[in-house]
Amino acid sequence: MLQADTVQLLCLTAASGVPLFSRGSSKQLPFSVIGSLNGVHMFGAGQGTVLSSCETERGSRVVWRVFQDSLMLIAVSGGGNKALSELHLRRLLENTWNCMVLVLGRDELANVRNVERLKRELRSCYRLIDRLLERGGEDQGFMGDLTHCADCLVPAQPGILQETLDSFTQAADSEFGCLLIRGRVAVATDKWLRLAPQEVILLSTLANSLSGVTSCDYPVFLPQGSPTVAHRLLCFQLLPSAVVCVLCGPSPSLHRVESELVGSFWSPLVETLRGCLEQAERSSLPPSVSLRWDIQALLVINRETRRSVVASSRASSQNPSEAPPLSSPARRWELLRHFYTFAVTRYFTSEEVTTSPTLPATPATPAAPATQASSTPATPHESLHEDFSKGFTHQPTQCYLVTDECKCYGLQTPQHQLYLLTDLSVPTFALRSVATLTLSAVTGATGF
Amino acid sequence: MEAVPPGSVIVADWYRNPDSRDFFTKILHKKKRRVFGLLEAPVMPPHLKADTVRYKVFISGKSGVGKTALAARLAGHQIPNMHYETTGMETSIVFWPVKLKESSRVLFFQFQLWDCGENAMRRFDHMLTSCKEQVDAILFLFSFTDHGSFKDISNQMSRFTDPSDRVVRLVVGTKFDLFMHTDVTESEITRFQEVSRVPVFRVGGDVSEGFGEIAPLLNALAENLWHQDCIHASSASLPPQPHPEDTNREVIV
Repeated sequence: MLQADTVQLLCLTAASGVPLFSRGSSKQLPFSVIGSLNGVHMFGAGQGTVLSSCETERGSRVVWRVFQDSLMLIAVSGGGNKALSELHLRRLLENTWNCMVLVLGRDELANVRNVERLKRELRSCYRLIDRLLERGGEDQGFMGDLTHCADCLVPAQPGILQETLDSFTQAADSEFGCLLIRGRVAVATDKWLRLAPQEVILLSTLANSLSGVTSCDYPVFLPQGSPTVAHRLLCFQLLPSAVVCVLCGPSPSLHRVESELVGSFWSPLVETLRGCLEQAERSSLPPSVSLRWDIQALLVINRETRRSVVASSRASSQNPSEAPPLSSPARRWELLRHFYTFAVTRYFTSEEVTTSPTLPATPATPAAPATQASSTPATPHESLHEDFSKGFTHQPTQCYLVTDECKCYGLQTPQHQLYLLTDLSVPTFALRSVATLTLSAVTGATGF
Repeated sequence: MEAVPPGSVIVADWYRNPDSRDFFTKILHKKKRRVFGLLEAPVMPPHLKADTVRYKVFISGKSGVGKTALAARLAGHQIPNMHYETTGMETSIVFWPVKLKESSRVLFFQFQLWDCGENAMRRFDHMLTSCKEQVDAILFLFSFTDHGSFKDISNQMSRFTDPSDRVVRLVVGTKFDLFMHTDVTESEITRFQEVSRVPVFRVGGDVSEGFGEIAPLLNALAENLWHQDCIHASSASLPPQPHPEDTNREVIV
């Protein structure tokens, strides 16, 4: 249906099936296919079922979702090595809808009066949507689009940054402020962190998409917090890749904040900011956290604050010569995403979005991420799809997976989750203690 | 106010002159234009100290005419290869060293370019007000591939400026490289320049030629803004000699 490794996103009116836009893969699906995709969903609806996802034998997937009874989004992914998981496609639909609300507001989308006008207006969402589809951040370890936890950076000296941010935000007549370092949240005000996680992620994405722009004033609707009344997102590039954002009402003006506040609050912190940028180049964790050399990558999620931090070890010097070379950083992030998806869809299910019941259109061939395909424990694929919690009253708190590329360990406590990728040289029986120690090393040293 | 002829206030094509190198290298980084954050500015060694003067420049024009691309071109950022609507206001900072003809004094002009999407401006009232607040110059854009946008220029000029304002006005034709599809003729441009007495600049194509592409426009902006300030200073203050430093313009030392 689609070329391998590509994704296409379609938007249609839910009632009449009029195509509104299509983004993603350069080769657009023919109109007849779009019509059929809409038709099969409509047929299901006529029979009182909701068609939400299907999968072909070659690993292509289609995911449908109707928003506000008004617009339907369909994501189609081709098979291939980089095929997206169903979870990822679902998140993509949700994120896309949120983008549309963010730019246009919910009213505009929920009550379609003039289709042609809506088509024109939707064009203003393309920049953000394309940004989501590019998956550009994946090779730098951005996970927020998948985990719905804000990608964070833990600065070595958060105190002074936090103080400055709080007073700067206050001076701008706002309670919502955030400092992004290389696209990650370094510090934020309490209120900012209490925004819905999807909103935090989208606002960061928006702020990051302004390459080269010195400052901006964007009207934004908050998909959860304020879908019908626009706020203003003001962003200021203090240093290249160090951006401070505030969410404001009608005042103060961009000009005023920039000329009166930015310099006076942030100038004294230039060196601290430079330090953060340098740190971000190496890791999202401060140097005080030392990781074992055989850890390839890790993702720690704070379940209460919905924040996440990733780290990856660099090819280190004390690496014994017999150890196999580490895979590329991009590959490690990819594996980490696969492992996260694997763990939350099978074991840590409370983390997954509650989705409408799935009706597989074709017998599901698990197509999947390379980690599972190559898992060495002789577990048949089918058994991985079995609902673990069926018949069990308890929630799994740990899981592991051994592949021919790396070993993975997942661990959850009431407050945290850790997803760990280690070198093959780590004995499988030691994974649990490595994971436990790593989690306490990260959370203990940073208070994350 | 009428535009000053190029080269009358500042040294024309100074970037080609060897003595400008020390200054122009400060706005470059690895042979590309350096991106400046709000807390940064070019730093010169003590013997070459140059003051910085700040101006706010608003880019006006119909949707799709190339406002964002012009801002990126002038600031030396990567020009987006795809057209996306700007859904809000964006500003970019451009530092441009200039040598005054009379005093041989070197100044860094800091232009803050304000770019605002037309649709956003229509939907949200505060945008236009914010763009006009304390503006020093306006660039009116039209596209050589869209005759409508050229016709619209006189409308825009009457809408955005009233004659008493101290605002420098320049017209820029974008997408000049697409001459195969050009929709605006040279004679129309000439006529427009004669009637409105506002110079028209042409931009388009890739920016491989370095400063040559953008120098005429940036120099004209600098020259006219400086001239405007000098006139204002001499009419408002007592000393007969224009002392531009005395204007209320913020001078960063």
